[in-house]
Amino acid sequence: MAIFNLKKREIECKVVYYGPGRCGKTTNLEYIFGAYKKQVKGEMVSINTEGDRTLFFDFLPIGLGQIRGCDVRVQLYTVPGQVKYSSTRKLVLRGVDGIVFVADSLEVRREKNMLSLKDLQSNLKEYGKSIFKVPLVMQFNKRDLAEQGIPLMSVEQMQKDLNRQLQVPAFEGSAVKGDGVGVTLKECLKLTLQSLQREFKWAQ
Amino acid sequence: MDIKQRLKAVLQEAEIYRSQGLISEAQSKYKDAVNIVNSIEKLKNKESLIKAISDKIDALKTTKEKVEKGPTTPELSQKAQDLIKNLFAFSESTDQDSAALEGAVALAKFGQFDRALTELNGLLKKEKVRVEAAKNILQCHLASAGADEAINQYQQWYTGDLFHANQLEAVRTFLEEVLAKKGVEANLPSLLETIDPQLEEAVVEVQPQVEVEEEFLDITSIGITFDAGPRKGKMVEFDVNFQSGNMLSLIISKQENELIETLEERMELKDVQFFSPIAIFNGAGVVASKTKIKTGPKQGDYCVDIRIVST
Ligand SMILES: Nc1nc2c(ncn2[C@@H]2O[C@H](COP(=O)(O)OP(=O)(O)OP(=O)(O)O)[C@@H](O)[C@H]2O)c(=O)[nH]1
Ligand SMILES: [Mg+2]
Repeated sequence: MAIFNLKKREIECKVVYYGPGRCGKTTNLEYIFGAYKKQVKGEMVSINTEGDRTLFFDFLPIGLGQIRGCDVRVQLYTVPGQVKYSSTRKLVLRGVDGIVFVADSLEVRREKNMLSLKDLQSNLKEYGKSIFKVPLVMQFNKRDLAEQGIPLMSVEQMQKDLNRQLQVPAFEGSAVKGDGVGVTLKECLKLTLQSLQREFKWAQ
Repeated sequence: MDIKQRLKAVLQEAEIYRSQGLISEAQSKYKDAVNIVNSIEKLKNKESLIKAISDKIDALKTTKEKVEKGPTTPELSQKAQDLIKNLFAFSESTDQDSAALEGAVALAKFGQFDRALTELNGLLKKEKVRVEAAKNILQCHLASAGADEAINQYQQWYTGDLFHANQLEAVRTFLEEVLAKKGVEANLPSLLETIDPQLEEAVVEVQPQVEVEEEFLDITSIGITFDAGPRKGKMVEFDVNFQSGNMLSLIISKQENELIETLEERMELKDVQFFSPIAIFNGAGVVASKTKIKTGPKQGDYCVDIRIVST
């Protein structure tokens, strides 16, 4: 749903953080909000429910400055991961230009990751989009917990579970520490802008 | 690992799950911990330890109930509502009334019914969006107050003079359909009946057939829950070695003797989980064939073909 204002040479696009409940979507945005002060263009808005779980969405506007003669703005969103909020999740996904799929590295969350990816695929399909074509990157989050001896899936296992067919860029991350948050976002923005460029040929 | 160390590790794991809001996972780990404590024969403070862990399990139960119950959609601040209106009105047209309508609908979708109703009622005055506004008003009533409220609202419109006959008719058919889906049969009065009984046919919309693109699903592994044999009731996971359509080939190591024996040809597998990179689904399968591998590095292992029969 990117909005182009060719006269003013402005672009506004939408990136959504998707993933199972408690995988660290909100934590990613919180880190971005704190660490990328120069890019952040407004307050982060979070609409939460019991125990800091996202109820509707988190929202954070950022700006990338001039890219090829265009002022690029990005709206970052997270969806609520809890299964029961499926209609809100779908609503937030509407008009998405790029997606970060945050997967939880905890072994106990293996199945939840796959179910959430499936949910993403079917919601995209309902909007007439294919998960194979939409700009998408993955983050395998909570890698820091390995140090504490908590059972995590290996990266190979997660690649096989989630990324064997999709073959999208995937990064290890620890959103609480900020590791991998920046690269994940940057790669997603790169893919998103490339795809918008192919579609709309905005760059000079 | 020394059993006390194992207990410590399990408790630590449970604690992390709890702190991250992974309630079921934490509960199950704490239960593991209780089992470990029970299995240690000579433990001085056994009773108090079990009590302490059980308290944690109980506390998690309370949290779980809270999470499952919540939320009754909260009434958001004006600022948050404005944000929703701005962010979730997707109107591509620059037409003001349509944009206002979308904003109000966005509020309704996020459960902000009071403000949505105020705005939608305002939009009834606009000819162009009147019918859509009315439909959404009815949806708000249905979602927040129930069928009676929606029917009352319709009756008011029916006796009033805001709507033209064909506008009200569109609203009426809409409401009847929605109510029918909820199992409520309502015989709503129509302004048209006396005018032109034929018209209803004309408004039947033709639903275009949308071709759904089927995406090929590649299955990486399957989990079979056995209903017989030594692993009865347990789920065993197998990697899929090769897939052709709905036929999956698994290689089972010769060490897994009992499994190989359990999996007989033509055996029905009623409870199978199919894992694929973009989907996980439950279904059933049939053992299509079982062959011993005679040569090569996997000599002596078995190749078992499973046909997916339903998902
Ligand atoms: N150790 C560790 N904990 C993390 C990490 N990322 C998130 N968490 C924790 O996991 C819990 C859930 O994080 P959130 O960011 O709220 O998860 P979410 O995906 O937004 O969850 P929902 O809104 O319910 O969908 C919090 O307790 C975080 O502190 C990480 O990289 N490492
Ligand atoms: Mg969240």
